[in-house]
Amino acid sequence: MTRKFSSIRQAVLFASMLLLALTYIYPFIYTFMNSLRTKIDFIKYPFRIEFNRLSFNNYIVLISQMKILLSIKNTFSITIWTISFLLVFSTMSSCAFAKLKFSGSRFVYLLILTTLFIPGQVTMIPMYAMFSKAGLVGRHFGVIISYLASFLPGTILLLTSHFKGIPDEMIEAAKMDGCSYWRSILIIYVPMGLPAIAISIIFSFLGVWNDLFTPMILIPGTEKRTVMVALSTIIGRYGGDATYQFAGMTLVSIPTILVYLIFQRFIVEGISLGSIK
Amino acid sequence: MPALVIIAAVKAYPMLTAIIKSFTNWDGMYKSRFIGLENYIVMIRNGEFFSSISNNFILLLFIPLQILTGLIVGLLLYEKNLGWRFFRIIYYSPQVISMVIIGFFFAVAFGYYGPVNTVLELFGVSQPINWLGNRGTALFVITFCLLWSNIGWQALLILGGMSSISPSIMEAAKIDGAGYWSRLFHIVMPMLLRVIEYSVIVSVIWVFNGMFSVIHAVTKGGPGYETTTLDYMIYIKAFVTGRQLGMACATAVMLMLVMLIFTKIEMTVSNKMDDWS
Repeated sequence: MTRKFSSIRQAVLFASMLLLALTYIYPFIYTFMNSLRTKIDFIKYPFRIEFNRLSFNNYIVLISQMKILLSIKNTFSITIWTISFLLVFSTMSSCAFAKLKFSGSRFVYLLILTTLFIPGQVTMIPMYAMFSKAGLVGRHFGVIISYLASFLPGTILLLTSHFKGIPDEMIEAAKMDGCSYWRSILIIYVPMGLPAIAISIIFSFLGVWNDLFTPMILIPGTEKRTVMVALSTIIGRYGGDATYQFAGMTLVSIPTILVYLIFQRFIVEGISLGSIK
Repeated sequence: MPALVIIAAVKAYPMLTAIIKSFTNWDGMYKSRFIGLENYIVMIRNGEFFSSISNNFILLLFIPLQILTGLIVGLLLYEKNLGWRFFRIIYYSPQVISMVIIGFFFAVAFGYYGPVNTVLELFGVSQPINWLGNRGTALFVITFCLLWSNIGWQALLILGGMSSISPSIMEAAKIDGAGYWSRLFHIVMPMLLRVIEYSVIVSVIWVFNGMFSVIHAVTKGGPGYETTTLDYMIYIKAFVTGRQLGMACATAVMLMLVMLIFTKIEMTVSNKMDDWS
Protein backbone atom coordinates (compact mmCIF):
# COMPACT_ATOMS: atom_id res chain seq x y z
CA MET A 1 0.00 0.00 0.00
CA THR A 2 2.68 2.48 1.01
CA ARG A 3 4.62 1.54 -2.06
CA LYS A 4 1.74 2.31 -4.31
CA PHE A 5 1.10 5.56 -2.47
CA SER A 6 4.69 6.61 -2.92
CA SER A 7 4.64 5.87 -6.63
CA ILE A 8 1.50 7.98 -7.11
CA ARG A 9 3.16 10.70 -5.13
CA GLN A 10 6.24 10.47 -7.30
CA ALA A 11 4.15 10.65 -10.43
CA VAL A 12 2.42 13.81 -9.19
CA LEU A 13 5.77 15.27 -8.26
CA PHE A 14 7.23 14.46 -11.63
CA ALA A 15 4.24 15.89 -13.46
CA SER A 16 4.32 19.18 -11.59
CA MET A 17 8.05 19.54 -12.12
CA LEU A 18 7.64 18.78 -15.77
CA LEU A 19 4.92 21.39 -16.04
CA LEU A 20 7.16 24.02 -14.48
CA ALA A 21 10.03 22.95 -16.73
CA LEU A 22 7.80 23.45 -19.76
CA THR A 23 7.31 27.11 -18.85
CA TYR A 24 11.07 27.41 -19.25
CA ILE A 25 11.56 25.23 -22.31
CA TYR A 26 8.57 26.47 -24.24
CA PRO A 27 9.70 30.12 -24.57
CA PHE A 28 13.01 28.95 -26.06
CA ILE A 29 11.27 26.77 -28.62
CA TYR A 30 8.68 29.44 -29.29
CA THR A 31 11.33 32.09 -29.86
CA PHE A 32 13.39 29.88 -32.12
CA MET A 33 10.50 28.58 -34.20
CA ASN A 34 9.03 32.02 -34.70
CA SER A 35 12.40 33.44 -35.66
CA LEU A 36 12.06 31.31 -38.78
CA ARG A 37 8.77 32.89 -39.80
CA THR A 38 7.86 36.22 -41.33
CA LYS A 39 6.44 39.21 -39.53
CA ILE A 40 3.07 38.99 -41.27
CA ASP A 41 2.62 35.30 -40.52
CA PHE A 42 3.48 35.93 -36.89
CA ILE A 43 0.96 38.75 -36.41
CA LYS A 44 -1.76 36.75 -38.11
CA TYR A 45 -1.21 33.51 -36.23
CA PRO A 46 1.15 33.83 -33.27
CA PHE A 47 0.78 30.12 -32.48
CA ARG A 48 0.86 28.43 -35.84
CA ILE A 49 3.94 26.89 -37.38
CA GLU A 50 3.66 26.18 -41.10
CA PHE A 51 6.64 23.93 -41.62
CA ASN A 52 6.78 24.49 -45.34
CA ARG A 53 7.12 28.26 -44.88
CA LEU A 54 10.04 28.37 -42.49
CA SER A 55 13.21 30.10 -43.62
CA PHE A 56 16.44 31.44 -42.25
CA ASN A 57 15.77 34.76 -43.90
CA ASN A 58 15.78 36.74 -40.64
CA TYR A 59 19.22 35.37 -39.78
CA ILE A 60 20.54 36.27 -43.20
CA VAL A 61 19.30 39.83 -42.77
CA LEU A 62 20.86 39.96 -39.31
CA ILE A 63 24.22 38.93 -40.67
CA SER A 64 24.23 40.96 -43.87
CA GLN A 65 22.53 44.16 -42.74
CA MET A 66 23.08 44.32 -38.98
CA LYS A 67 26.66 43.01 -39.24
CA ILE A 68 25.81 40.98 -36.16
CA LEU A 69 28.89 38.81 -36.63
CA LEU A 70 31.09 41.89 -36.21
CA SER A 71 29.32 42.68 -32.95
CA ILE A 72 29.79 39.11 -31.80
CA LYS A 73 33.48 39.39 -32.59
CA ASN A 74 33.66 42.64 -30.61
CA THR A 75 32.01 41.06 -27.60
CA PHE A 76 34.32 38.07 -27.81
CA SER A 77 37.42 40.20 -27.86
CA ILE A 78 36.19 42.29 -24.92
CA THR A 79 35.36 39.11 -23.01
CA ILE A 80 38.72 37.50 -23.63
CA TRP A 81 40.74 40.56 -22.66
CA THR A 82 38.63 41.15 -19.58
CA ILE A 83 39.00 37.58 -18.38
CA SER A 84 42.75 37.44 -18.98
CA PHE A 85 43.48 40.68 -17.14
CA LEU A 86 41.01 39.74 -14.44
CA LEU A 87 42.72 36.42 -13.79
CA VAL A 88 46.24 37.83 -13.72
CA PHE A 89 45.40 40.75 -11.44
CA SER A 90 43.07 38.89 -9.12
CA THR A 91 45.41 35.92 -8.69
CA MET A 92 48.28 38.22 -7.81
CA SER A 93 46.27 40.23 -5.30
CA SER A 94 44.54 37.21 -3.81
CA CYS A 95 47.84 35.42 -3.18
CA ALA A 96 49.08 38.51 -1.42
CA PHE A 97 45.91 38.90 0.65
CA ALA A 98 45.77 35.22 1.52
CA LYS A 99 49.36 34.55 2.54
CA LEU A 100 51.54 37.65 2.73
CA LYS A 101 50.73 39.50 5.90
CA PHE A 102 51.92 42.98 5.04
CA SER A 103 50.94 45.96 7.14
CA GLY A 104 47.49 47.26 6.34
CA SER A 105 46.62 44.26 4.16
CA ARG A 106 43.44 43.62 6.09
CA PHE A 107 42.38 47.26 5.73
CA VAL A 108 43.05 47.33 1.99
CA TYR A 109 41.18 44.05 1.57
CA LEU A 110 38.11 45.43 3.32
CA LEU A 111 38.36 48.62 1.27
CA ILE A 112 38.28 46.58 -1.94
CA LEU A 113 35.30 44.62 -0.71
CA THR A 114 33.33 47.76 0.13
CA THR A 115 33.53 48.81 -3.52
CA LEU A 116 31.32 45.77 -4.20
CA PHE A 117 28.48 47.82 -2.76
CA ILE A 118 28.91 50.86 -5.02
CA PRO A 119 26.18 50.65 -7.67
CA GLY A 120 27.48 50.85 -11.22
CA GLN A 121 25.09 53.65 -12.07
CA VAL A 122 26.69 55.92 -9.50
CA THR A 123 30.15 55.71 -10.98
CA MET A 124 29.06 55.54 -14.61
CA ILE A 125 28.60 59.25 -15.26
CA PRO A 126 31.89 60.54 -13.82
CA MET A 127 33.58 57.57 -15.45
CA TYR A 128 32.05 58.49 -18.79
CA ALA A 129 33.30 62.07 -18.40
CA MET A 130 36.73 60.84 -17.37
CA PHE A 131 36.97 58.37 -20.26
CA SER A 132 35.80 60.91 -22.80
CA LYS A 133 38.58 63.25 -21.69
CA ALA A 134 41.08 60.42 -21.96
CA GLY A 135 39.73 59.43 -25.39
CA LEU A 136 38.57 56.03 -24.19
CA VAL A 137 34.90 56.42 -25.14
CA GLY A 138 34.20 54.36 -28.23
CA ARG A 139 37.09 52.03 -27.57
CA HIS A 140 36.98 48.55 -26.17
CA PHE A 141 39.74 49.34 -23.73
CA GLY A 142 37.50 51.64 -21.70
CA VAL A 143 34.84 48.98 -21.34
CA ILE A 144 37.45 46.39 -20.36
CA ILE A 145 38.81 48.66 -17.61
CA SER A 146 35.32 49.30 -16.35
CA TYR A 147 34.56 45.57 -16.23
CA LEU A 148 37.83 44.89 -14.44
CA ALA A 149 36.90 47.39 -11.76
CA SER A 150 33.49 45.81 -11.31
CA PHE A 151 34.58 42.16 -11.36
CA LEU A 152 37.86 42.39 -9.46
CA PRO A 153 36.43 42.77 -5.93
CA GLY A 154 34.17 39.73 -6.22
CA THR A 155 36.86 37.61 -7.84
CA ILE A 156 39.44 38.65 -5.27
CA LEU A 157 37.00 37.73 -2.51
CA LEU A 158 36.39 34.29 -4.00
CA LEU A 159 40.02 33.50 -4.78
CA THR A 160 41.38 34.80 -1.48
CA SER A 161 39.04 32.59 0.50
CA HIS A 162 40.15 29.61 -1.58
CA PHE A 163 43.87 30.40 -1.38
CA LYS A 164 43.61 30.72 2.40
CA GLY A 165 42.75 27.02 2.48
CA ILE A 166 46.12 26.03 0.99
CA PRO A 167 48.28 24.62 3.81
CA ASP A 168 51.20 26.84 4.77
CA GLU A 169 53.53 23.84 4.93
CA MET A 170 53.16 23.31 1.23
CA ILE A 171 54.33 26.82 0.41
CA GLU A 172 57.14 26.57 2.97
CA ALA A 173 58.29 23.32 1.42
CA ALA A 174 58.31 24.85 -2.03
CA LYS A 175 60.33 27.78 -0.71
CA MET A 176 62.86 25.38 0.83
CA ASP A 177 63.26 23.73 -2.51
CA GLY A 178 64.26 27.10 -3.93
CA CYS A 179 60.99 27.98 -5.56
CA SER A 180 60.53 31.72 -6.01
CA TYR A 181 57.34 33.53 -4.99
CA TRP A 182 56.18 34.05 -8.58
CA ARG A 183 56.87 30.45 -9.47
CA SER A 184 54.94 29.24 -6.45
CA ILE A 185 51.92 31.18 -7.64
CA LEU A 186 52.03 29.26 -10.89
CA ILE A 187 52.71 25.79 -9.56
CA ILE A 188 50.85 25.87 -6.21
CA TYR A 189 48.20 28.57 -5.96
CA VAL A 190 46.75 28.34 -9.45
CA PRO A 191 46.34 24.55 -9.58
CA MET A 192 44.97 24.43 -6.02
CA GLY A 193 42.49 27.21 -6.67
CA LEU A 194 41.39 25.84 -10.03
CA PRO A 195 37.69 25.27 -9.15
CA ALA A 196 37.34 28.85 -7.93
CA ILE A 197 39.20 30.16 -10.96
CA ALA A 198 36.95 28.17 -13.27
CA ILE A 199 33.86 29.61 -11.63
CA SER A 200 35.23 33.15 -11.96
CA ILE A 201 35.94 32.59 -15.64
CA ILE A 202 32.45 31.26 -16.35
CA PHE A 203 30.66 33.99 -14.47
CA SER A 204 32.80 36.78 -15.93
CA PHE A 205 32.03 35.42 -19.36
CA LEU A 206 28.29 35.46 -18.66
CA GLY A 207 28.53 38.88 -17.04
CA VAL A 208 30.39 40.50 -19.91
CA TRP A 209 28.37 38.83 -22.62
CA ASN A 210 25.01 39.74 -21.10
CA ASP A 211 25.77 43.27 -19.99
CA LEU A 212 23.98 46.09 -21.75
CA PHE A 213 24.49 49.17 -19.59
CA THR A 214 28.27 49.62 -19.75
CA PRO A 215 28.87 49.13 -23.49
CA MET A 216 25.73 51.04 -24.38
CA ILE A 217 27.11 54.14 -22.75
CA LEU A 218 30.83 53.72 -23.35
CA ILE A 219 30.70 52.58 -26.99
CA PRO A 220 28.49 54.74 -29.16
CA GLY A 221 28.52 54.04 -32.88
CA THR A 222 27.86 50.84 -34.77
CA GLU A 223 31.36 49.75 -35.69
CA LYS A 224 32.60 48.68 -32.25
CA ARG A 225 29.40 47.95 -30.41
CA THR A 226 28.74 44.69 -28.58
CA VAL A 227 26.02 42.16 -29.36
CA MET A 228 23.78 43.27 -26.54
CA VAL A 229 23.86 46.85 -27.78
CA ALA A 230 23.20 45.68 -31.33
CA LEU A 231 20.33 43.56 -30.08
CA SER A 232 18.81 46.39 -28.08
CA THR A 233 18.80 48.62 -31.15
CA ILE A 234 16.63 46.17 -33.08
CA ILE A 235 14.25 45.94 -30.18
CA GLY A 236 11.55 48.47 -30.88
CA ARG A 237 9.03 49.34 -28.23
CA TYR A 238 5.82 48.75 -30.13
CA GLY A 239 5.23 46.93 -33.35
CA GLY A 240 8.57 46.32 -34.97
CA ASP A 241 9.41 43.07 -36.64
CA ALA A 242 9.00 40.54 -33.86
CA THR A 243 10.28 37.53 -35.78
CA TYR A 244 13.42 39.42 -36.81
CA GLN A 245 13.97 40.34 -33.17
CA PHE A 246 13.39 36.71 -32.18
CA ALA A 247 16.15 35.72 -34.58
CA GLY A 248 18.48 38.23 -32.92
CA MET A 249 17.57 36.94 -29.48
CA THR A 250 18.18 33.34 -30.48
CA LEU A 251 21.52 34.07 -32.11
CA VAL A 252 22.78 36.12 -29.17
CA SER A 253 21.78 33.59 -26.52
CA ILE A 254 23.39 30.60 -28.25
CA PRO A 255 26.92 31.14 -26.82
CA THR A 256 25.75 31.56 -23.24
CA ILE A 257 23.48 28.55 -23.49
CA LEU A 258 26.36 26.48 -24.88
CA VAL A 259 28.67 27.60 -22.08
CA TYR A 260 25.95 26.83 -19.57
CA LEU A 261 25.32 23.34 -20.91
CA ILE A 262 29.01 22.51 -21.01
CA PHE A 263 29.84 23.85 -17.57
CA GLN A 264 26.48 23.35 -15.86
CA ARG A 265 28.08 21.12 -13.23
CA PHE A 266 30.40 23.93 -12.12
CA ILE A 267 27.67 26.54 -12.28
CA VAL A 268 24.97 24.62 -10.47
CA GLU A 269 27.37 23.49 -7.77
CA GLY A 270 28.76 27.01 -7.46
CA ILE A 271 25.27 28.33 -6.79
CA SER A 272 24.54 25.60 -4.30
CA LEU A 273 27.64 26.69 -2.41
CA GLY A 274 25.92 30.04 -2.26
CA SER A 275 28.75 32.24 -3.35
CA ILE A 276 27.64 33.90 -6.53
CA LYS A 277 24.73 35.68 -8.10
CA MET B 1 49.19 46.16 -7.35
CA PRO B 2 47.42 46.92 -10.59
CA ALA B 3 44.11 45.68 -9.18
CA LEU B 4 44.17 48.41 -6.57
CA VAL B 5 44.99 51.12 -9.07
CA ILE B 6 42.15 50.13 -11.37
CA ILE B 7 39.60 49.91 -8.58
CA ALA B 8 40.71 53.25 -7.17
CA ALA B 9 40.66 54.97 -10.56
CA VAL B 10 37.43 53.54 -11.91
CA LYS B 11 35.35 53.02 -8.76
CA ALA B 12 36.45 55.13 -5.82
CA TYR B 13 37.45 58.30 -7.64
CA PRO B 14 34.28 58.47 -9.79
CA MET B 15 32.16 57.88 -6.72
CA LEU B 16 33.64 60.89 -4.99
CA THR B 17 33.25 62.91 -8.18
CA ALA B 18 29.61 61.86 -8.38
CA ILE B 19 28.97 63.09 -4.87
CA ILE B 20 30.68 66.42 -5.54
CA LYS B 21 29.05 66.96 -8.92
CA SER B 22 25.61 66.27 -7.49
CA PHE B 23 25.76 69.78 -6.01
CA THR B 24 26.45 71.40 -9.39
CA ASN B 25 24.60 72.02 -12.66
CA TRP B 26 27.23 70.00 -14.54
CA ASP B 27 26.49 69.16 -18.18
CA GLY B 28 29.71 67.30 -18.86
CA MET B 29 31.27 70.06 -20.92
CA TYR B 30 31.23 73.69 -19.88
CA LYS B 31 28.89 74.23 -16.99
CA SER B 32 29.86 73.01 -13.58
CA ARG B 33 28.69 75.71 -11.19
CA PHE B 34 28.01 75.00 -7.55
CA ILE B 35 24.27 75.25 -6.94
CA GLY B 36 24.01 73.69 -3.51
CA LEU B 37 21.10 71.40 -2.86
CA GLU B 38 19.07 72.60 -5.81
CA ASN B 39 19.22 69.28 -7.70
CA TYR B 40 17.91 67.43 -4.69
CA ILE B 41 15.16 69.98 -4.05
CA VAL B 42 14.01 69.94 -7.68
CA MET B 43 14.08 66.16 -7.79
CA ILE B 44 11.91 65.83 -4.70
CA ARG B 45 9.60 68.72 -5.54
CA ASN B 46 8.67 67.60 -9.07
CA GLY B 47 7.92 64.14 -7.75
CA GLU B 48 10.37 62.27 -9.99
CA PHE B 49 12.24 60.87 -7.06
CA PHE B 50 9.16 59.53 -5.32
CA SER B 51 7.54 58.15 -8.45
CA SER B 52 10.66 56.26 -9.44
CA ILE B 53 11.47 54.97 -5.98
CA SER B 54 7.88 53.82 -5.55
CA ASN B 55 8.38 51.68 -8.64
CA ASN B 56 11.41 50.13 -6.98
CA PHE B 57 9.31 49.43 -3.91
CA ILE B 58 6.59 47.77 -6.00
CA LEU B 59 9.18 45.60 -7.72
CA LEU B 60 10.50 44.57 -4.30
CA LEU B 61 7.24 42.64 -3.94
CA PHE B 62 8.66 39.98 -6.22
CA ILE B 63 11.10 38.91 -3.52
CA PRO B 64 8.59 37.22 -1.15
CA LEU B 65 7.03 35.51 -4.17
CA GLN B 66 10.46 34.42 -5.34
CA ILE B 67 11.30 32.96 -1.94
CA LEU B 68 7.98 31.17 -1.64
CA THR B 69 8.11 29.59 -5.10
CA GLY B 70 11.84 28.97 -4.80
CA LEU B 71 11.20 27.19 -1.52
CA ILE B 72 8.53 24.99 -3.05
CA VAL B 73 10.65 24.15 -6.08
CA GLY B 74 13.69 23.57 -3.88
CA LEU B 75 11.71 21.15 -1.71
CA LEU B 76 10.48 19.33 -4.80
CA LEU B 77 14.02 19.03 -6.13
CA TYR B 78 15.19 17.77 -2.73
CA GLU B 79 12.99 14.70 -3.17
CA LYS B 80 15.58 13.64 -5.78
CA ASN B 81 12.76 12.47 -7.96
CA LEU B 82 13.27 11.05 -11.43
CA GLY B 83 15.05 13.60 -13.59
CA TRP B 84 15.75 16.13 -10.84
CA ARG B 85 19.20 16.93 -12.22
CA PHE B 86 17.67 17.71 -15.57
CA PHE B 87 14.97 19.92 -14.04
CA ARG B 88 17.60 21.70 -11.99
CA ILE B 89 19.45 22.64 -15.16
CA ILE B 90 16.28 23.81 -16.87
CA TYR B 91 15.03 25.93 -13.97
CA TYR B 92 18.31 27.76 -13.65
CA SER B 93 18.66 28.43 -17.37
CA PRO B 94 17.15 31.97 -17.46
CA GLN B 95 20.03 33.12 -15.29
CA VAL B 96 22.56 32.60 -18.06
CA ILE B 97 20.53 34.54 -20.57
CA SER B 98 20.69 38.29 -20.64
CA MET B 99 17.86 40.12 -18.90
CA VAL B 100 17.64 42.13 -22.12
CA ILE B 101 16.52 39.03 -23.99
CA ILE B 102 14.20 37.77 -21.27
CA GLY B 103 12.70 41.22 -20.80
CA PHE B 104 12.18 41.58 -24.49
CA PHE B 105 10.55 38.21 -24.75
CA PHE B 106 8.06 39.36 -22.12
CA ALA B 107 7.55 42.63 -23.98
CA VAL B 108 6.64 40.76 -27.16
CA ALA B 109 4.53 38.18 -25.35
CA PHE B 110 2.54 40.88 -23.58
CA GLY B 111 2.42 43.19 -26.59
CA TYR B 112 -0.87 44.53 -27.86
CA TYR B 113 -1.10 41.95 -30.65
CA GLY B 114 1.09 39.50 -28.76
CA PRO B 115 0.52 35.84 -27.94
CA VAL B 116 -0.84 36.49 -24.43
CA ASN B 117 -3.67 38.61 -25.74
CA THR B 118 -4.36 36.02 -28.42
CA VAL B 119 -4.70 33.33 -25.78
CA LEU B 120 -6.92 35.58 -23.66
CA GLU B 121 -9.10 36.14 -26.68
CA LEU B 122 -9.67 32.40 -26.93
CA PHE B 123 -10.88 32.51 -23.35
CA GLY B 124 -13.40 35.17 -24.23
CA VAL B 125 -11.60 38.41 -23.41
CA SER B 126 -12.81 40.38 -26.40
CA GLN B 127 -10.86 43.60 -25.88
CA PRO B 128 -7.07 43.07 -26.01
CA ILE B 129 -5.34 44.35 -22.87
CA ASN B 130 -2.74 47.06 -23.33
CA TRP B 131 -0.34 45.43 -20.87
CA LEU B 132 2.60 47.75 -21.31
CA GLY B 133 0.51 50.90 -21.71
CA ASN B 134 -0.59 51.17 -18.09
CA ARG B 135 1.57 51.56 -15.05
CA GLY B 136 -0.17 48.83 -13.07
CA THR B 137 -0.14 46.12 -15.72
CA ALA B 138 3.34 47.08 -16.94
CA LEU B 139 4.74 46.73 -13.43
CA PHE B 140 2.91 43.41 -13.15
CA VAL B 141 4.61 42.19 -16.33
CA ILE B 142 8.03 43.28 -15.03
CA THR B 143 7.45 41.65 -11.64
CA PHE B 144 6.36 38.46 -13.33
CA CYS B 145 9.45 38.55 -15.53
CA LEU B 146 11.75 38.99 -12.52
CA LEU B 147 9.99 36.18 -10.68
CA TRP B 148 10.10 33.76 -13.61
CA SER B 149 13.79 34.28 -14.22
CA ASN B 150 14.79 33.98 -10.56
CA ILE B 151 12.87 30.93 -9.35
CA GLY B 152 15.68 28.60 -10.41
CA TRP B 153 18.35 30.61 -8.68
CA GLN B 154 16.35 30.69 -5.46
CA ALA B 155 15.53 26.98 -5.69
CA LEU B 156 19.19 26.09 -6.12
CA LEU B 157 20.15 28.19 -3.10
CA ILE B 158 17.47 26.46 -1.03
CA LEU B 159 18.64 23.09 -2.30
CA GLY B 160 22.21 23.97 -1.36
CA GLY B 161 21.07 25.00 2.11
CA MET B 162 19.14 21.77 2.52
CA SER B 163 21.98 19.51 1.51
CA SER B 164 24.04 21.01 4.31
CA ILE B 165 21.56 19.58 6.81
CA SER B 166 23.05 16.32 7.95
CA PRO B 167 20.96 13.26 7.03
CA SER B 168 21.39 11.84 10.51
CA ILE B 169 19.31 14.66 12.01
CA MET B 170 16.53 13.91 9.55
CA GLU B 171 16.76 10.18 10.30
CA ALA B 172 16.63 10.83 14.03
CA ALA B 173 13.55 13.01 13.62
CA LYS B 174 11.91 10.37 11.46
CA ILE B 175 12.53 7.70 14.09
CA ASP B 176 11.07 10.00 16.74
CA GLY B 177 7.92 10.02 14.65
CA ALA B 178 8.13 13.50 13.16
CA GLY B 179 6.04 13.71 9.98
CA TYR B 180 7.05 15.51 6.77
CA TRP B 181 5.50 18.84 7.76
CA SER B 182 6.76 18.87 11.27
CA ARG B 183 10.26 18.03 10.03
CA LEU B 184 9.89 20.85 7.51
CA PHE B 185 8.95 23.49 10.06
CA HIS B 186 11.13 22.40 12.97
CA ILE B 187 14.32 21.32 11.26
CA VAL B 188 14.50 22.50 7.69
CA MET B 189 13.09 26.02 7.96
CA PRO B 190 15.31 27.18 10.85
CA MET B 191 18.34 25.82 8.99
CA LEU B 192 17.32 27.70 5.86
CA LEU B 193 17.03 31.10 7.56
CA ARG B 194 20.61 32.00 6.65
CA VAL B 195 20.07 31.12 2.99
CA ILE B 196 16.84 33.09 2.83
CA GLU B 197 18.47 36.05 4.50
CA TYR B 198 21.29 35.96 1.96
CA SER B 199 18.91 35.81 -0.97
CA VAL B 200 16.84 38.69 0.40
CA ILE B 201 19.92 40.88 0.68
CA VAL B 202 21.17 40.03 -2.79
CA SER B 203 17.73 40.45 -4.35
CA VAL B 204 17.04 43.79 -2.68
CA ILE B 205 20.35 45.16 -3.90
CA TRP B 206 19.55 43.81 -7.35
CA VAL B 207 16.14 45.51 -7.44
CA PHE B 208 17.80 48.83 -6.74
CA ASN B 209 20.80 48.64 -9.06
CA GLY B 210 20.13 45.88 -11.60
CA MET B 211 16.88 46.93 -13.18
CA PHE B 212 18.37 48.80 -16.12
CA SER B 213 18.32 46.03 -18.71
CA VAL B 214 14.89 44.74 -17.72
CA ILE B 215 13.24 48.15 -17.81
CA HIS B 216 15.04 49.08 -20.99
CA ALA B 217 13.87 45.91 -22.71
CA VAL B 218 10.31 45.79 -21.43
CA THR B 219 9.03 49.36 -21.24
CA LYS B 220 11.94 51.81 -21.62
CA GLY B 221 10.53 53.41 -18.46
CA GLY B 222 7.28 54.25 -20.18
CA PRO B 223 4.52 55.17 -20.56
CA GLY B 224 5.95 58.56 -19.68
CA TYR B 225 8.13 57.93 -16.64
CA GLU B 226 5.59 55.64 -15.06
CA THR B 227 7.67 52.50 -14.84
CA THR B 228 11.00 54.25 -14.45
CA THR B 229 13.02 52.94 -11.52
CA LEU B 230 15.62 54.94 -9.69
CA ASP B 231 18.54 53.48 -11.61
CA TYR B 232 16.82 53.93 -14.95
CA MET B 233 16.12 57.55 -14.00
CA ILE B 234 19.86 58.17 -13.76
CA TYR B 235 20.29 56.95 -17.31
CA ILE B 236 17.37 59.08 -18.56
CA LYS B 237 18.69 62.23 -16.89
CA ALA B 238 22.22 61.75 -18.14
CA PHE B 239 21.81 60.37 -21.63
CA VAL B 240 18.24 60.78 -22.85
CA THR B 241 16.75 64.13 -21.84
CA GLY B 242 19.60 66.55 -22.46
CA ARG B 243 22.71 66.19 -20.41
CA GLN B 244 21.65 66.91 -16.87
CA LEU B 245 24.69 65.18 -15.49
CA GLY B 246 24.57 67.07 -12.19
CA MET B 247 20.99 65.98 -11.70
CA ALA B 248 21.87 62.41 -12.67
CA CYS B 249 24.65 62.40 -10.09
CA ALA B 250 22.21 63.66 -7.46
CA THR B 251 19.84 60.81 -8.35
CA ALA B 252 22.75 58.38 -8.12
CA VAL B 253 23.67 59.67 -4.68
CA MET B 254 20.07 59.21 -3.57
CA LEU B 255 20.17 55.65 -4.93
CA MET B 256 23.30 54.98 -2.93
CA LEU B 257 21.70 56.41 0.21
CA VAL B 258 18.60 54.25 -0.23
CA MET B 259 20.77 51.16 -0.68
CA LEU B 260 22.82 52.05 2.40
CA ILE B 261 19.65 52.41 4.45
CA PHE B 262 18.35 49.07 3.23
CA THR B 263 21.63 47.30 3.94
CA LYS B 264 21.61 48.82 7.42
CA ILE B 265 18.05 47.63 8.06
CA GLU B 266 18.88 44.15 6.83
CA MET B 267 21.95 43.95 9.02
CA THR B 268 19.95 45.01 12.08
CA VAL B 269 17.26 42.47 11.34
CA SER B 270 19.76 39.67 10.83
CA ASN B 271 21.52 40.56 14.07
CA LYS B 272 18.15 40.34 15.82
CA MET B 273 17.59 36.93 14.26
CA ASP B 274 20.94 35.79 15.61
CA ASP B 275 19.79 36.79 19.07
CA TRP B 276 16.68 34.66 18.77
CA SER B 277 18.35 31.49 17.75
